[in-house]
Amino acid sequence: MGTLMNSPLLALVLMAATLSSAHAAAPGPTGEAMAATCAGCHGTEGRLGTGEFMPLAGMKEAEFIRAMQDFRSGKRLSTLMGHVANGFTDREVRAMAQYFARIQPGAR
Amino acid sequence: MLNRRAFLTAGLKAGAALAFAAALPARAQGPAGHVVVVGGGVGGATAAKYLKLANPRLRVTVIEANRTYIRPYGSSEVLTGHVAMRDLDVSYDVLKSKYGIDFVFDTVVGFDPAKKTVRTAGRQSIGYDKLIVSPGIRLMYDAIPGYSAAAAETRAPSGWIPGTQTALLAKQLKAMRQGGTFVLIAPPKPYRCPPGPYERAALVTEWMRRHNPTGKVLILDPKDEFVTDATMQLGWHRLYGYNIPTDYLKDMPAGVKNSGRPSPIEWVRAKDGGTVEKIDTRTLAVTTLQGVEKADVLNVIPPMQAGKLAFDMGLTDASGWCPVERRTFESSVHKNVFVIGDASIADAMPKSGFSANTQAKVTARAVVDQLAGRAPGEPVWENTCYALAGSDYGLFVADVFRLKDGKIAQISGQRYLPLDAPLAKIRLAAAYQQAWLRTFTEDCFA
Repeated sequence: MGTLMNSPLLALVLMAATLSSAHAAAPGPTGEAMAATCAGCHGTEGRLGTGEFMPLAGMKEAEFIRAMQDFRSGKRLSTLMGHVANGFTDREVRAMAQYFARIQPGAR
Repeated sequence: MLNRRAFLTAGLKAGAALAFAAALPARAQGPAGHVVVVGGGVGGATAAKYLKLANPRLRVTVIEANRTYIRPYGSSEVLTGHVAMRDLDVSYDVLKSKYGIDFVFDTVVGFDPAKKTVRTAGRQSIGYDKLIVSPGIRLMYDAIPGYSAAAAETRAPSGWIPGTQTALLAKQLKAMRQGGTFVLIAPPKPYRCPPGPYERAALVTEWMRRHNPTGKVLILDPKDEFVTDATMQLGWHRLYGYNIPTDYLKDMPAGVKNSGRPSPIEWVRAKDGGTVEKIDTRTLAVTTLQGVEKADVLNVIPPMQAGKLAFDMGLTDASGWCPVERRTFESSVHKNVFVIGDASIADAMPKSGFSANTQAKVTARAVVDQLAGRAPGEPVWENTCYALAGSDYGLFVADVFRLKDGKIAQISGQRYLPLDAPLAKIRLAAAYQQAWLRTFTEDCFA
């Protein structure tokens, strides 16, 4: 039993099985679906012409991810963005970042 | 080439050509269909727009009674003269011209879920592949003894669905005698715009400080709590000297102390006898469990149910709201029919414009997926509402929602502005509230 559990191969197989089943059970919302929840303030597809809020279309992936992490940790001050950022996992923030990075910036 | 032509000719002779010819272009370009949206409020307009964004080849028709939308969010600012009635008007022109959405300005009077058609008062029969219904709310004027729809248009306006009653209420407030009492009757849960009655009370109090300094605002409430209650009351306390009830006082920041002097704004909860038993619309006397209050201006926000259309179409259950399958908001009663916005039963989601807006997006995507033969993806919804305790004093509620065991659950934790928030954040929230009115309208209607 002890030797079996210590086998790196078995550990790898077990880990792969856990990962794939978790992935199949909860694929999560798409980047586009999550990004749509931002549009009420940040513009449809993140394309905001004018206004107080940050346009998100065309934002560099790393910049979006860092902003969301900093909102969540409180490092970056916000009114409600800290609360909103708490609703998304790191993987989901990355998916949103990838979506916005692909959108042409500027007003729609 | 020859083969296809021969096939079409044969089809024509067989009499099946009409259907096939109609289907052919659609198949050549990929899947499409006709989605009819009933109701052009926040939910319906957003659904129509996002359907077109997801698949521009879809035919989308909105059936709406009014040619211009009057936005309810921010409409209490008409009472204080911060905006005019015409500032609430929202045009459907951009949805028509930019997205190619068809509008039929008419009322639905018939519905055949088996034949997938709706019939309008103008005698049009409109067929659909999928039907999205966003019927909004109905104000139950008769639920309060003494009150009525007629009284709401004359003596005691509601203005919870903006229009002539909003303008009337603004006029009555301006004409109120010095030192008079503005009584606001708050609604029981569930209702549209949870912080709304309390924001309205705050804005009226602020207005009176300048124009009727001895006047008073009295909120009579059948509830003991409300959304944003602690942050809103802290705002009232700082701005107007409101006396915070003891049970809320213990969580307030250090140094917050009631003066004990009478405050121009008072909230009478259910536990303090705030539940209204009847009103007399002639004398504006309001009878509660604690006694009789005489109003100079009476604003009644009555109990609510799903919009009348939802009842006519048989989409409601015994609660008076519409049960839906939570992932897509497809009606639990009729297949291929989806109910979004305030009228739907959405568990933890408040009945707000922002909720309706994100519900519309999830449902639009699900409808497009279903029409293309794909399974709808994992949903996510949001609600972020800024509210005002005064023109420069903002607060908010912010939520992210996910599907959890077949129900909609709030998963983002803390919802409100922290009670120890610095003044800079509070002022910023007020500025964002004004900005949000513009960006939100744009996301729904342009």
